[in-house]
Amino acid sequence: MSSAILTEGLTKRYGRRPGIEQLDLEVHPGEVFGFIGPNGAGKSTTIRLLLDLLRPTAGRATVLDLDARADSVAVRRSVGYLPGEFGLDVRMTPRQLLQYFATLRGMRDLGDARALAERLDLDLDLPMGRLSRGNRQKVGLVQAMFHRPPLLILDEPTTGLDPLVQDTFLQMLREARDEGRTVFLSSHILSEVERVCDRVAIVRASRLAALETTESLLEKRRKRVTLVFDSPVDASAFAGLPGVSDIRVQGTAVTLRLSDGIDAVIKLAAQHTLLDLQVEHPSLDEVFLGYYDARQPWPV
Amino acid sequence: MAGLAQIWALTTHELRKRWRSLVIWGVILGGLGAVYVALYPSMSGLMEDYMNQMPESMQGMFGEFEGGRMSIEQWLGMEFLNMFVPVVLPFMVIIMGARAVAGREEGKTLDLLLSNPLPRRNLVAGTALTMAISLAIVLVITWILTYIAVPIAGVDLSPARLAAALVTIWPLCLAFGMLALLVSTLVRRSALAIAVAAFILIAMYVLETLAQVSASVEPFRVVSLFYHLGNPIGGDFPWTAVLVTMAAVCVLGSAAAATFARRDLYT
Repeated sequence: MSSAILTEGLTKRYGRRPGIEQLDLEVHPGEVFGFIGPNGAGKSTTIRLLLDLLRPTAGRATVLDLDARADSVAVRRSVGYLPGEFGLDVRMTPRQLLQYFATLRGMRDLGDARALAERLDLDLDLPMGRLSRGNRQKVGLVQAMFHRPPLLILDEPTTGLDPLVQDTFLQMLREARDEGRTVFLSSHILSEVERVCDRVAIVRASRLAALETTESLLEKRRKRVTLVFDSPVDASAFAGLPGVSDIRVQGTAVTLRLSDGIDAVIKLAAQHTLLDLQVEHPSLDEVFLGYYDARQPWPV
Repeated sequence: MAGLAQIWALTTHELRKRWRSLVIWGVILGGLGAVYVALYPSMSGLMEDYMNQMPESMQGMFGEFEGGRMSIEQWLGMEFLNMFVPVVLPFMVIIMGARAVAGREEGKTLDLLLSNPLPRRNLVAGTALTMAISLAIVLVITWILTYIAVPIAGVDLSPARLAAALVTIWPLCLAFGMLALLVSTLVRRSALAIAVAAFILIAMYVLETLAQVSASVEPFRVVSLFYHLGNPIGGDFPWTAVLVTMAAVCVLGSAAAATFARRDLYT
């Protein structure tokens, strides 16, 4: 298999309103791929195009080397999908739903359903009308994973889950990756993306804004450096250093943002009497917000 | 083969979900049929007087009375088999057809269902089979319960003729269910699908009723499925109408599959 997911110029428009525009994306087999962006950026549209629930206006997509449109049944046979929003028949129990889906998939048993339900602490025999929001989400997760698909496509999978279950779920994703399976994860919760994803695509206003490894994205984040001197210093000297921006002076403290190495800053600071030095690494959230900040130029 | 297994899985799942409502439908219709049979001995005389007071054009609606007396077949046909059942029972499948696609979209269950390797045409086929079997179950219960009253009321009614009358209703109802299914693949709103199919059902019924008393409307009655029901309980089984209606069911089903296959699904 050359790629788990490949899109070429994938475009979907709803009348004049764009859903996703000219998306070129490749997800490698065996990776956990994060697809992040705010609500309405085009994440769910992309996923629904991959599952043939929506038809593209232009471009094409392949999933596990199968055409997402022409071979959609074969694609869905090999994909576990969790929709961003879904309803459940309140009269059924999770077990009945899974038995039904297992029959539609031609399975003779419930596969991994019991083990998954146990790990997620889900009662399979309670009518779904009596399940909480979080437990319904667990049903969605179990139905996506119980047939051990080689590719998981999950749209906002941790919505409604409590932090402990989120941890368990993220661990399950890591295990899936360790088994060589691929995970395509859409989210706007960046901490979970930071924790499990190997690579991240950021979508903004229906377009791909960035596609990088999570590591390189985090490396790009601008550190906030605070230097405290024994007396006020001329901060303008720091402005000429490479990668330095956003210099602020408050009494004897100089705060700046730094995207390159810190060596030059330390050497310049050492010309004065330095009392304290703090380096803060922003989270992926701040990197992400940088991409969404209207004042920032588009990175791609 | 896998496709047939999927269609059967869909059908059995839906039937299992709604078996109680099917039994209720059957018991209500069959109970009503039994009441009509039981009422026949006391009503036949009254109906004779009532008919004699009617204008001639209205009398034509009910056909000729053998020996000047309304038969059990005419009584059941007039009150129950040509009026009540074919107007009320289609609503059961109209609702099923409308909910199969548009209703699932509204309830946000369609994405989850189609995340399985289920071709859209199989969902349409499964819905059609569910409607067909559901109707058959209700009509069989109706036949049994109606016929139970026959020996009790002491009337002479052939079980085969009663069955033939109910069999004729089956494709008619199915056609309206398939129409609702087709509309639900087009408009994405189950209420609208129900409304369109129900409007056409009522319009056809009114047209047929008016055509029986008005010569100006009479030429248009061929477009009404009710016209083609004929008089199966009287021994005149409308083979052509049943086959043509079944062909229409197939056309509506194919159209539903084609429109559903082409369109986007929304949540």
